Amino acid sequence: MSDEINVDKVMDLKGMPCPMPIVKVSKGIKDVEVGQVIQAISTDPGSLTDFPAWARTSGNEILKTEQTEEEFVFYIKRTA
Amino acid sequence: MEEKLREELIKLFESKLSKPMQMYLETCSRCGICTPACHAYASMPQAKYTPAYRAEVVRRIFKKYFKLQGKIAPALGAAKVLDENTLDELYEAAYSCTGCRRCMVYCPFGIDTQQIMSIAKLLLIGANAEPELLTMLADVSVSKGEGIEDMKESFMQGLKRLEDQVLEKWKMEAGEMEAGETPIPIDVEGADLLYVALAGAHSIIPAAAVFNAAGEKWTLSFFEAVNFGAFVGDPTKTKLILDRIVNEANRLKVKEVCICECGTAFRVMKQMSGSQPFEVSSITDVHAKYIREGKIKLDKSKLNLPVTYHDPCQIARNGGVIDAPRYVLQQLGADYRELSADPKYNWCCGGGGGLVAMGDETHDFRMKSAKVKADQVQQTEAKILATACENCHAQLSDISKHYNMDVEVKYLSSMVADALIQ
Repeated sequence: MSDEINVDKVMDLKGMPCPMPIVKVSKGIKDVEVGQVIQAISTDPGSLTDFPAWARTSGNEILKTEQTEEEFVFYIKRTA
Repeated sequence: MEEKLREELIKLFESKLSKPMQMYLETCSRCGICTPACHAYASMPQAKYTPAYRAEVVRRIFKKYFKLQGKIAPALGAAKVLDENTLDELYEAAYSCTGCRRCMVYCPFGIDTQQIMSIAKLLLIGANAEPELLTMLADVSVSKGEGIEDMKESFMQGLKRLEDQVLEKWKMEAGEMEAGETPIPIDVEGADLLYVALAGAHSIIPAAAVFNAAGEKWTLSFFEAVNFGAFVGDPTKTKLILDRIVNEANRLKVKEVCICECGTAFRVMKQMSGSQPFEVSSITDVHAKYIREGKIKLDKSKLNLPVTYHDPCQIARNGGVIDAPRYVLQQLGADYRELSADPKYNWCCGGGGGLVAMGDETHDFRMKSAKVKADQVQQTEAKILATACENCHAQLSDISKHYNMDVEVKYLSSMVADALIQ
């Protein structure tokens, strides 16, 4: 799943209703250095719109989004 | 604090000085009737948690900059200079108040502490001293609205994944569905009802099943209901988030805008959208109407445990939806137990005003200040605690764990969806 991207921190946000996934990630991203990557795993479909909007307003970058049957996986690079 | 910032903050203060606000700021007689009305004070009896004390922080700034006595002899009226220390006091006052307005019901003058706290919140925003998290959520919400055209595809993809779960709750044949034969119709011009949900699946699936069961001509909004602008007290962002729903409702020419189980969203839409060609309803009102009109039938044998209902402050005391949830619970066959003799005086859950959205940061305060709520629930000996607000649901779930309450917190709309008779 993360073959191409080196992940520095994994955040399991499964089961959390929106907006908690972006609340957690907005705090969690401060635990990694600029340039490092968080893999955030969510199950709430609202994440599909929440994460891009959060990245845009916070200045961070979503490198990739993956969808499985049950999960949404976001690779987020801290750039701000 | 730099003089320039202070001047800007005084201008912000002035922008809030409507006639009612001036009355609130000038009228308090220090009678103390509001003191035990606040759940925070009732749970943690400290002067700083009394409504009058919170208001006094704002009142003293008002005296300093807007009253003659405060300008020429500030010590006499205990006028307060706006500085960094005052900002700290404003923060503590504003974010220990959930805006539940229980104190207002008790106040002989009807002083609205939530309104006074809106000044505190605005000054904190002006000084960049508001909770960062709430501004982040408001900005994300505004951004989602601005980028809605780019996000529609993602949103629709997300909805597609929920369709099977909607159909599990209420089966439909292809010919029965609206809008391209989907159990979650969206962007349907001429629909009767626009449903404004939260971003999460839990807000969409049960609601969709009930609308479909009732044969409602409905359509889902592209926008989320929650108004994080209102939580942080930013009037500009509040209006931006509100207006896009109003504009969507008018574009689709719907007759009714139904707000999901979100107290703030309901109150903002009901009381701030102005005169519009559509009605505003809560989903609980709509469910009660469907039952009364025989559009849905509920299995009364599903609830075999005692149930109580927490009235969300913004929906009940501040929004007027009090009878509908009780009627719905009666129709669900519940062994129903009231939390308070008069729902207008129901205790706040302790999570309003943005406190729940602030998460771990406010957890300790939320748990301690909700002691009276926990006691109230436990006295009913109910095993199911129903409510109709996401914020309250999150807070009540936290309280339930914290106080080891033997109670399951449930959304009322989900209870309706789960009891549908096909």
